[in-house]
Amino acid sequence: MADVNMTLEMVQASQTGMKAIGAGLAVGLTGVGTGVAEMGIGAAAVGAIAENKDFFGLGLLFTVIPETIVIFGLVIALLLLF
Amino acid sequence: MLAPKPMSRLLIVASRDQAVPIIQELYRENLFHIEEYVDQGREGYEGFKIGSPLEGATESSAELIKVRAIENIFAIRGEDIEAKQKLSLPQIRSQIERELPGIEKEVEELAGSRSKLDSKIKEHEQKITELAPFLEIPVDLALLRGFRHFSVLAGYVSRDVSISVPHEMEIVKNKERTFVLAIVPEKNRAEAERLLQDAQFQAVTVPEENGTASARTAYYNEQIATLKKEIEAINGKLAQIKDSHSGFLVACEEAFRANIEQAEAPLRFATTSKVFVAEGWVPADKAQGVSANLDRVTGGKVFVSELPVDPLHDAVPVEYNNPSFAKPAQMLMDIYSRPMYTEVDPTLMLAIVFPIFFGLILGDVGYGLLLLIMCFALGRVFKGDDAKEFLVVLRNASISSIIFGCLFSEFLGFELPWAPIIFSRHLNIGGTEVAGQGPQIAQLMVVAIWIGILHITLGRGLGMINHARQDHGSHRIKAVLANFGWIAVMWGIIIGIWSMFALPLMPDLSGLPVVAAGLSAGLIAAIVLVVMGVIFIARDSVLEIVELPTIISHVLSYARLVAVGLSSVAIAMVVNYMSIGMFIGPALKNFTILSVVLIIVGVLVFLLGHALNLALGMLGGGLHSIRLHYVEFFTKFYKGGGRKYIPFGMKRRFTED
Repeated sequence: MADVNMTLEMVQASQTGMKAIGAGLAVGLTGVGTGVAEMGIGAAAVGAIAENKDFFGLGLLFTVIPETIVIFGLVIALLLLF
Repeated sequence: MLAPKPMSRLLIVASRDQAVPIIQELYRENLFHIEEYVDQGREGYEGFKIGSPLEGATESSAELIKVRAIENIFAIRGEDIEAKQKLSLPQIRSQIERELPGIEKEVEELAGSRSKLDSKIKEHEQKITELAPFLEIPVDLALLRGFRHFSVLAGYVSRDVSISVPHEMEIVKNKERTFVLAIVPEKNRAEAERLLQDAQFQAVTVPEENGTASARTAYYNEQIATLKKEIEAINGKLAQIKDSHSGFLVACEEAFRANIEQAEAPLRFATTSKVFVAEGWVPADKAQGVSANLDRVTGGKVFVSELPVDPLHDAVPVEYNNPSFAKPAQMLMDIYSRPMYTEVDPTLMLAIVFPIFFGLILGDVGYGLLLLIMCFALGRVFKGDDAKEFLVVLRNASISSIIFGCLFSEFLGFELPWAPIIFSRHLNIGGTEVAGQGPQIAQLMVVAIWIGILHITLGRGLGMINHARQDHGSHRIKAVLANFGWIAVMWGIIIGIWSMFALPLMPDLSGLPVVAAGLSAGLIAAIVLVVMGVIFIARDSVLEIVELPTIISHVLSYARLVAVGLSSVAIAMVVNYMSIGMFIGPALKNFTILSVVLIIVGVLVFLLGHALNLALGMLGGGLHSIRLHYVEFFTKFYKGGGRKYIPFGMKRRFTED
């Protein structure tokens, strides 16, 4: 419920704040998601590289696939902020 | 360009007595990729066996092992040594006969005596540790043994202890523990031991030494010092040998390796008692030359014929065929996989697009210059071929970074004296208003999306070419059309979005007139494209339909070009704001003694922050650029898995024929 005493500036300021919180959540949560996803892949990739160094390229590739999630978060955050 | 080097398949047949000149010639040319003969009764090869090594292989192997052992002692590696002058083979042969045995003997002797001295030092150090508990006891150690009626008990106890039987005892206390030396009559020994056991007695043997412990320790320390000096002298001698002979040693290694490889070549040929047959690959433009040369060295006693090549079913070895500026990018290709012989080789595109992506992400003159300097500095340290290729890739990327830095008008997060020529990435950090219009995030995003659309369309186009080349019959048409279908669906979605929303930097189709059923012309075109595309895809493989959402995610993935770049700009600007806005600026405004500290902290923050951001930028810029290629681009058309072309021979660095 909006307080009747709120001025226009206050509303605008609180909206900006909400945007900032949203942007933070977008990057933070997607970062966590990426981290969780990369955890297993990275561990397996390091194991595979230890067995066979030729796997490095492919291992790196698999490991960075979930990066996309956090990039999307970053994109959303940037669009929110600017 | 855009395809591997064309290869010819050569069949070489000659009598066995011609084996040596033929092998030597092939080795010298360094062009012939030997197709190894496997004894599996292949058609036309009945009665053939794997050949036996030429004479001298065993001797060369033994010598090579010795030379490598010496190189190990000196920690010499061929890659690290710059070839000053090349020795000719007869020269090196005579030098090997003359000098190598002497060097071997000397080095072995020196290394042997060094390890002896090392073990002596270890012995002495062991003695010193044994003596350590007795250091505080001013008694000749010879007096502590050899009794008939007394027992000597020495060891550590956890607390003060007193013995009720007749005894003489010395106690040395230090911080951690208490050392006890007790002499008791033999008949009371059991009792004394029991009492000591109560205090957790840990026995220590009395060292077999004559003289006080401190005197003996000093004596052993002196001995160790002399031994160390001797070792140093030996090391000096070894260093001398290394300095004067390292060039010769690596040349020896190279010569022996060449010998062995040539001597063992017949193991890869098919032979009978009279003839041998070698099959292999040479670059097509060199095939004539190779066969003419073989004719020459054998005086015509060889049969060389070019076999027909079936590019799809023969495992043709793949050698890149790129203009020289694109060669370093081959390293990035090999990390993923070498192209197949029939495939489009995307190295050239990678060599052009990778630096552009890197520059878009890390577009900053300051960072670009730092990376460039780093490249040249590392180039002096690392001499290997792989390292050089990597550094050239990094150099190109950093030059692109400088160019984009000029366009973005950025220098370590500061603005250059001109306004951004393309879109601005200057963020509003620390409340300071940016000159001009501020960051143009939306436009930058759209540019990134455009790059993605074009890159993926190119990838699918290459996919059509690859399938047209590699597949047969009805599958070929289906596969080509499926790739076209992917393009159609993607563009259909894009046109659909254009017809509904007006986006910056993109055609605006939202104003098109309604044609039928409330749909505008743009939307109808979009629907037609998508439906047609989906049908084409499904005709090739129905399961591919589940992959449709990747069209959107892959295109959006190119937004990272902007997003990762902006995050690095943001970090740079935050570092600048912290160091100058929070530490250095206020300190200069109101100068006191404390200001000096503040300025130092500010400078530290500046250096550390930018160092961190540079590392992140390099990692992010490089990794994301290459990932866009590997995941978004290559998956559209590229399979890889080609066999590497490894010609028989070596690049001689220290020797010559």
